[in-house]
Amino acid sequence: MSTLQLDRRAFLLGLGGASLALPVLDAMGTEVSEKIPRRFCALYTANGMSLPQKQHGIDEWSWFPTAEKDGKFVFGKSTEPLAPYRKHLSFMGGLHHPSGPKADPHVCSDMWLTGAPLHNPKPGTYNSVGLDQVVALHTKQFCRQPSLVLSIDAGTGFLSRTGTISYSLEGRPIPAENNPRRVFNRLFSGDKDSIVAEREQLKRKIKLVDAVGESARTLNKQLGKSDREKMDLYLTSLNEVESRLIASEKWIDIPLKKQDHSKLNLDATNESKPADYYRAMFDLIALAFDADITRSVVFMLNREDGMGISDTFPIKLGLGNTHHYLSHATDKPGQLAFAKYDLFLSEQLAHLFARLTEFKDRDGTLLDNTIVLYGSGASTTHNPKNLPTLVAGGSKLGLKHDTYWRKDDARMSNMYLSVLRSLGIEQETFADSTGTLGNSIFGRA
Amino acid sequence: MTSARRWFLLLALLFMATPARSDDAATLEKSFDLSVKPFLKSHCVRCHNADKMTSGVRVDHLDAKLEDRHLKLWEHVLKQTKSAAMPPEDAKQPSADERKRAVEWMEQAIMVARSRPTPKNGSVRRLTVAQYRNTLRDLLRLDDNIADILPPDAVSRDGFVNNSETLQLSPLLLEAYFDIADQALSRCLVDPKAKPTIQSFRVDLGAGINAKPIKDNLVLGADSLLIDKRDFTVEERKPSKSFAFEPFKMQTKYRFIEGYAGNDTVRGWREYENIYHSVFACMRGSHGYPKGRAYSTVPEGLLLRPAIPSSELFGESSTYGPRANFKIALRELPDAGRFRVTVLAAKYDDGLMLDPGTKPLETPDSLVCRDFKSVTVKTPGVYQVDIHAAKMAKSAEVTLKLGERSFTGTPNQPAFLTVRLPAGPLLVGITGMTLERIVFTPLAAESDLAKRFTSFEKRLPQIGVHMGFRRDCGSTLSPVGVPQTVTGEKLMKYVFEGAVQNFPDPNVEKDNVNYLAGVREIGVRSEYTDGRDMPRLLIRSVEFEGPLYDTWPPATHRNIFPDDTQDAKKVIREFAGRAFRRPINAQEEASLFAVFEKAIKGGTSFQNGVKDAVQVVLTSPQFLFLIENSSTPAAEPLDQYELASKLSYFLWNGPPDATTLKLATSGELTKKLDAEVERMIADPRFSQFAGEFANQWLALDKFAVLEPDRKKFPKLTRDARTQLREEPVKFLEYVMRNNLPVRNLITSDFVMANEVVANYYGLTSESGFKFEPIRHGRRDLGGILTEPAILAGLSDGRESNPVKRGAWLARRIIAEPPDDPPPNVPALTEDTKKLSLRERLEKHRNQAGCAQCHAKIDPWGVPFEEFDAGGLFKTAKVDARSRLPDKTEVADFAALQKYLAEDRIDQVAFSVLKHLAIYATGCNLTYSELEFMRKDGLRLKSDGYRMRDMIRYVISSKMFLEK
Repeated sequence: MSTLQLDRRAFLLGLGGASLALPVLDAMGTEVSEKIPRRFCALYTANGMSLPQKQHGIDEWSWFPTAEKDGKFVFGKSTEPLAPYRKHLSFMGGLHHPSGPKADPHVCSDMWLTGAPLHNPKPGTYNSVGLDQVVALHTKQFCRQPSLVLSIDAGTGFLSRTGTISYSLEGRPIPAENNPRRVFNRLFSGDKDSIVAEREQLKRKIKLVDAVGESARTLNKQLGKSDREKMDLYLTSLNEVESRLIASEKWIDIPLKKQDHSKLNLDATNESKPADYYRAMFDLIALAFDADITRSVVFMLNREDGMGISDTFPIKLGLGNTHHYLSHATDKPGQLAFAKYDLFLSEQLAHLFARLTEFKDRDGTLLDNTIVLYGSGASTTHNPKNLPTLVAGGSKLGLKHDTYWRKDDARMSNMYLSVLRSLGIEQETFADSTGTLGNSIFGRA
Repeated sequence: MTSARRWFLLLALLFMATPARSDDAATLEKSFDLSVKPFLKSHCVRCHNADKMTSGVRVDHLDAKLEDRHLKLWEHVLKQTKSAAMPPEDAKQPSADERKRAVEWMEQAIMVARSRPTPKNGSVRRLTVAQYRNTLRDLLRLDDNIADILPPDAVSRDGFVNNSETLQLSPLLLEAYFDIADQALSRCLVDPKAKPTIQSFRVDLGAGINAKPIKDNLVLGADSLLIDKRDFTVEERKPSKSFAFEPFKMQTKYRFIEGYAGNDTVRGWREYENIYHSVFACMRGSHGYPKGRAYSTVPEGLLLRPAIPSSELFGESSTYGPRANFKIALRELPDAGRFRVTVLAAKYDDGLMLDPGTKPLETPDSLVCRDFKSVTVKTPGVYQVDIHAAKMAKSAEVTLKLGERSFTGTPNQPAFLTVRLPAGPLLVGITGMTLERIVFTPLAAESDLAKRFTSFEKRLPQIGVHMGFRRDCGSTLSPVGVPQTVTGEKLMKYVFEGAVQNFPDPNVEKDNVNYLAGVREIGVRSEYTDGRDMPRLLIRSVEFEGPLYDTWPPATHRNIFPDDTQDAKKVIREFAGRAFRRPINAQEEASLFAVFEKAIKGGTSFQNGVKDAVQVVLTSPQFLFLIENSSTPAAEPLDQYELASKLSYFLWNGPPDATTLKLATSGELTKKLDAEVERMIADPRFSQFAGEFANQWLALDKFAVLEPDRKKFPKLTRDARTQLREEPVKFLEYVMRNNLPVRNLITSDFVMANEVVANYYGLTSESGFKFEPIRHGRRDLGGILTEPAILAGLSDGRESNPVKRGAWLARRIIAEPPDDPPPNVPALTEDTKKLSLRERLEKHRNQAGCAQCHAKIDPWGVPFEEFDAGGLFKTAKVDARSRLPDKTEVADFAALQKYLAEDRIDQVAFSVLKHLAIYATGCNLTYSELEFMRKDGLRLKSDGYRMRDMIRYVISSKMFLEK
């Protein structure tokens, strides 16, 4: 149960009016006012990573580390840009979704965060809830927006070749945003009309919740010795719902944290230079976390099976062919070119880590209080086992890094459960999890 | 602390009655401290404590209160102490006197505990997810499954989800109730003055019916088996309605940047304008068919053979759907609301394609056709048709035309077809292969082939409609309603209806730029049942209409606003009365009306003001909870409305209907209880009970998630599993509706099966998808114990598991649940893998910590070893001898069945009563309630413990009728 405490009456009497400032945060409970936000960020790259064939003699270009020194893994050439953050990250080997091999391999991005049995879905459904939305469900009452869903292409794309990696509680795809300026406007300068509409909506909800409380109390007076616990539970839950709604309403008035937005390149689009685009999006993610606008972010960096504009990025970068084409390469030059695209992505990721390290929380950096998941739904293309996965950040959430962990056929869902536990979300299971990962990185979570 | 919580604690304190302690209790407690506690401490606790639970037993927490939950343990301790089985021989022994004092105390205390009355303080129980869904659907007449976002209910110890102890409530759940109510009402209510928009179109099918086919090549990605563009037409329609509406115009202009060139990724904008880019008829799925062509177009329409399911597992079989897999692909459907798909279809006057290896025939009566133009049939009847290829002709797909009829296949032999021919001249046509002659040989009525043909031509195709969307690797489809039997060779309309929102949706954005993304599908199939030859299904046209309104405003709107009344109080009062399942009182009315008034004051319209009040109703505890209001700790009878709800949520898993509520209003429900229960059991809604109860009591959810080994159990396809899962439900419903003796659960001379289930058993049925009782005459069938939904569900999909099956039988069927496994059970060492199953079980049983429970579990499971993990009798001889916990020896499964049905039938009946009662009341039963029922229930024995009688027994018991 959340620790949010908010006495509504005191709130309304003491703080009504427009000039709400930071003390309001205190009224919203310790989770908002005192505790450092615990955040989650998932970054997806399609078509797997380059894991060159032995015979080519370019092992150093493998995305997974292939060498060790003094008992520690050595970064490969394509992940070298991440070396400064080695104390903040771990490579995870051997992970997979058990449903992965049963489904067509191209659906791996659809199930990456959900683990759903796409070959045999529940009747009437396609997918199931994604990890980011479970995080959002449990953090939304502490911040302004439940989640931020980003992708290289806007919208939801084409299910089975999805354009978003975020799936709602009902398993429906959540449309992604892809334009830095639009994302900025929505996050940092909400437009008047939508604010008015949002406020109206919240006010109506609060009014109805209030009326339900009234109705429940009327009932309670009529009840004799009936099972009091259940009614108590109902009223406490109702109180909590009301508090959350009021908190949401108040967020609208609370001024945003002051930040320097002057360095943002909001003119970048997915048709600009790929590096410019990714960096602009990563800057926005860091700023959104810093201002505690949301605690759950996903970003689909590129799409499976040659869908969308990102397929052309390797060509723009002078690697000679499209992303999907390169991922299928088995020859040495092809696998090398593919690895060089991995290198490009590592450079962008390093930029995000840099930003997350620059911003400080009260205790540690943003990165220390954020679990960043980076990976793909295929190891090399079409291979749904040993999914390339990197976990970064979260040292203040109990994560211990600087490891290349490996366990054959370990379940992604178990790791996801570990992620949830590390974020303080006490869930019993996630998708087809059989428990938590229970490894050196997540400790007991 | 929130103010509500404070307020509650205060109330709770005020109301907490302090029961006067009886002298008995005081004396017992004193002597417990004096003699029993020291006795336990010095003789038992050393081995039976929290850390070291020898044989899974601890007694260190026992005290003089003898709480209900400890009674069983106390009885066990008494037994062990009295018989001097404990302490073990090698331990320090108590003196005879010490033992006697302890035994006497235990006997007396247990007696007192058994006779103490259980306080009855009413109950407040949340609706389960299924009950909530049924209630909302009934109340709002809304078909949408909007309750799907609710998390599943927790399962109680006895397997039920309606247990008041396990039904939780949380802010998240409450938020979901608010959202659902909001969404549901938005879908129910319309602006009565606005004109609705209705989408309707029809796809006609037939060879060459489209004189102006689209010029573009239609591209539908990987493994699309397209239908010729000349063989279908698409036409937008304006259905006739009694009210004004706007026909929806489908978009026909499109711009795409990828996906229009097969499976490749191509980029570059292309523009399209044609209705055939909006709606197209197509096939997709696995290629080929065992005999004949999976589908073909003839002038009258499209012919389909039964859709052979594919496992859709990547790498094992096609993920592109069954053979034959016809669908209409389209880009636009309404966002929400009901829809109707009307298929004009018939059974084709078909011939039976001959099996490979069938010998050609030629007799003096044969008609030989060498001109490939016509023959004259003198004697009407069943003929074998052999097509003899010309020398050098290669085997190829041929189409034989006989009159108007058409038969396509790729034969490797002359024997081709068996067909009924009328007397008279018959036009003959052949394409695809050069023939030497065609021979028509009349078959004697008693010949095997003629008999086979006669039963073939009687078979009726099952038409099914599906809806969903296209994936690149297949489709995600859900059935619309249930398959319908196509009754004759005359074209007839088959109507399928559903709610759009209940079907998988590609959720694509409006301006999506991929040709193949966001393609929705309406599939029409001849459904596969058992693989026997089936006359083809002829589809002439498929028509869509949605949103489907019979009236305007629609029924969902008029359900809340029956007329033009502006009397908000009346509207709210009537709706709330139905929602609360009783008339609302003055305070409730006042507080709900206040919601409306407040909204109106805030400038809201009349309709939205009422909507606000109705939304409050739908999230109020009076709606979400089943409340039995009690004012004293003594037992009181349920009031009439409480009784109405308790009955309907038991027997229908949904709200009471107007008839029951009317009886409650007139105060006659208790008096007419028997007749009302009979009516409710006879009602179709009783199926909702059967499904819910069977699923939970028999733990069928395990089967639902089973992933059987495909190689070992090829017949256990997804479609077969769907039907097999229904079997226990249909069986239970049948024995209940027909008031059969409980013995049928253990052994019955019939099974409830449809064609799919019968085929799984190797039986034959002609019932299509309808479950009907079939006599089986076999020793491996009958009752529920032999059902694959149970036996396979209690396996891992590869090997049968006697431990799971044994535990299931002990818990569910004879109500002798084993104790929970103790904590820290040591795992069996790896080397046991080499041992035989029997040896492994023995090893398990002999291991300290396991023995206690497994001795009560495994023996029940061993006789089931005659069944494999797919729930069928193993072909190899199996050693299924077992010595049951009560020392009875059974030789095999049949002996176990006989033993249960004869010697232990009281126990089986008690188990049914117990589970029914727990389910009916939604509460755990107390020790004394259970023990009372164990003895009192014997009254039903003389009549064989009939199933409906047992339901009535539970309903007429105090457990049910008092609060």
